[in-house]
Amino acid sequence: MATDLVPSQVVPPSAEATPEAPRRKRRPRPVPLWRDLLRYRWLYLLLLPGLVYFVVFKYLPMYGLTIAFKDYVPFLGYSGSEWVGLKHFQELFTGPDFGRLMFNTLLLALLTIVFVFPAPIVVALMLNELRLRVLKRSVQSLIYIPHFLSWTIVASLTYLLFSVDFGVIANWIHGLVGGQKTDYVAQADWFRPLIVLQLLWKQTGWGTIIYLAALAGVDSQLYEAARVDGAGRWRQFWHITLPAIRPTIVVMAILTSGHLMDSGFEQIWLMTTSLNRDVADVFDTFVYYIGITQGSFSYATAVGLFKGVVGVVLIFGSNLLAKRLGQRGLF
Amino acid sequence: MTIFSRRRLAVAVAASTALLAASACSGGDDSKGQAASDELTVMAPLFGTAPDPGGELQQAVEKQIGKKLKITWVPNAEYGDKSNVTFASDKIPDVMVVNEKGPSFLKAAEAGAFWDLTGKLDKYPNLKPDNEQRAKNSQTNGKTYGIYRDRPLLRSGIVIRKDWLAKLGLKEPQSVDDLYAIAKAFTERDPDGNGKKDTYGLIIPKWPGNYASASPYDVVETWFGAPNGWGERDGKLVPGFDTPEFLAANEWLRRWVKEGLVNPDFATLDSANWNDPFVQGKGGMIIDVNVRATQLLDLFKEKNPKDFDKVTLVGNLKGPDGEKHSYPFTGYNMVIAISKQHVRTDEQLDQVLQTLDKLESKEGSVLLANGIEGRNFKADGQYAVPINETDPKVKAIQNDVDKAFIQLGTRAGVGIGAYQPRPNDATSRAMRESFDVLMNEDLKTAVFNPALSIVAPTAVSKGQTLDTIIPDARIKYLSGAITEDQLKAQIKRWYDSGGTQIATEVNDLAAKAGG
Repeated sequence: MATDLVPSQVVPPSAEATPEAPRRKRRPRPVPLWRDLLRYRWLYLLLLPGLVYFVVFKYLPMYGLTIAFKDYVPFLGYSGSEWVGLKHFQELFTGPDFGRLMFNTLLLALLTIVFVFPAPIVVALMLNELRLRVLKRSVQSLIYIPHFLSWTIVASLTYLLFSVDFGVIANWIHGLVGGQKTDYVAQADWFRPLIVLQLLWKQTGWGTIIYLAALAGVDSQLYEAARVDGAGRWRQFWHITLPAIRPTIVVMAILTSGHLMDSGFEQIWLMTTSLNRDVADVFDTFVYYIGITQGSFSYATAVGLFKGVVGVVLIFGSNLLAKRLGQRGLF
Repeated sequence: MTIFSRRRLAVAVAASTALLAASACSGGDDSKGQAASDELTVMAPLFGTAPDPGGELQQAVEKQIGKKLKITWVPNAEYGDKSNVTFASDKIPDVMVVNEKGPSFLKAAEAGAFWDLTGKLDKYPNLKPDNEQRAKNSQTNGKTYGIYRDRPLLRSGIVIRKDWLAKLGLKEPQSVDDLYAIAKAFTERDPDGNGKKDTYGLIIPKWPGNYASASPYDVVETWFGAPNGWGERDGKLVPGFDTPEFLAANEWLRRWVKEGLVNPDFATLDSANWNDPFVQGKGGMIIDVNVRATQLLDLFKEKNPKDFDKVTLVGNLKGPDGEKHSYPFTGYNMVIAISKQHVRTDEQLDQVLQTLDKLESKEGSVLLANGIEGRNFKADGQYAVPINETDPKVKAIQNDVDKAFIQLGTRAGVGIGAYQPRPNDATSRAMRESFDVLMNEDLKTAVFNPALSIVAPTAVSKGQTLDTIIPDARIKYLSGAITEDQLKAQIKRWYDSGGTQIATEVNDLAAKAGG
């Protein structure tokens, strides 16, 4: 890619041809790397800060992952701590918590894919059909707002609205349905619905941005031509709009799959109570608990590493799947 | 390449690269230098805004100890997390307030990150333990890792709406049966007189601690005769929740929940908002520490300075068998430990301990717990009377004392030692004076935890699985989500997940410590 931009290539050979020009023609084999580096050194130099950034801040810290295979004691340091091989992984996989954590994490991920992932697509498509620009713009701006509120505030709002003692919505539902009061925020049965509801409220509006951008890029001539051919609203939607944003949906799906094991620590942590802990415990909160609260850094790192590996596998897997299904993948 | 010359571009790139590299490396730069001997680094909890390091109080303290202080104040709510992260860093302060039984502290201490002070404190008159119970409680498996920070040995009590009692013609409770009767009356006999049934007896919040952490549940269980934490049954130490008294207490409380005598959101109410339902007139009782009573008095006074005498404090209660069992506290709250990172030799340790000895002397304690005499308070008998209250500089001193420096006191601390702060109205004064009367009365029947100084290794390694089993099961049982059989099954699950091992270890370690 970068070579397209190199000035020496763009400039057409003039009458007084540079001495290199004929030589390049004579040699069909690819330029050795070092020569390439030397020739385009200024461009490669531009790449350097980015490379340094990734090496220093992303790759070097990975050295710390070695403590997943050690009994890390901070006072002894990385090198002084004893190697223990796969002890922590063994403990994780055979421990009493693993099954429950896996189930809770995956079920939340599944609910997210089914309910939260399609929501912005639907909303974006609906916004796209709006004729009144003022209405479209103001709705768009209003639904972004929840994204900027922290999870702490979202959790407080949920408690305020759904508390069994003074919750406005809880009392309202109780007034409609009657019977015994339901403790939405404490009961295990209501934990997952509330989490999904919070995610929908907070993220849907923000998620529409990328789809709206894709929709804005659709050539209006396509619609005009379709209308001339007698296609109705529904036909236009089915044959023009949807195919236009399909690549975006696929890319978003692949990116989302990498985060399947991330349940959103803050949100879960804030909504956990003694009554719903059995369904609320996920890998993220578990890592916090054993790492920060209990000080078992090695075990926590092992759990985090496991999570990371699963994430990588899922990204590659879904990318492959997308290609198999005839879509353009991410890479 | 017209606007940017190649050279200029190269310089820009090189500069930004260097900047990146520099910012990445700046993390661990100043750790190699040894702590200068005239400076002491400290980490302690903070309850408000952090003091100005150049402030009047800090200067006075530095003058008292003859060293410069570099103090990291950490908000109390995140103190535990922040200390755990600090243990893992290469910047452990010389002197640190720590929970000496926390798993991550123990791991660090056992690896040699902190000094073992067992037997080393006796030559320092202001550091050596002045109370046997406290000294014993603050040890960890027979080792002293720090200087304990004094607190009253018993602070449990029941705070009750005084005006509601009077309105319904009820007397202060003596026994758990009285308490139930009061809760029932507060719920059903309209104590606020608004003609609606919109009140409840007892207010309980979502409890942040685990089993045996001075929660209202733990206190009630003790009243019923259950052990406080661990207790002897048939010559062996058993966890408190494995006793019939534990089950009886919770069956009793479960009835409260079922009959609506407790706030319905007891599993989720934020403990920071614990006072609200009381002050708003929704609930009439709180089982907690005695200072809750003065806090509530202050809140009522804020609402109506003319009529605020609405709070009464009652001590521990007689159980169903007529015997009184009181819930004591540990008598201290965290210890001051000394890290080995900069303090490496015995001479250096001696120096630090000498400095601390000056800090905890009579004069030092007054500075930490009351402030500068003649500036922000004057002594009047056992009381400290605030003076110059409107001067902003004096206000800063008072803030530094109350919100921060008092946390460094071991002999003087919250609610103990030096001069007592004097409340400026008769009602609050009487309330504060009742603290000691109630404490001394209840200490006669206090149920101490014989295993308080013991930390079982399995509890450290398997804490993540075990810690929440019992408190969660208890809440589930109280809320009606599980039956008594299921509660018993959860207790069995605790044993099966490593509890059996913990019980064995506790018994072994206790035998060793006792013999």
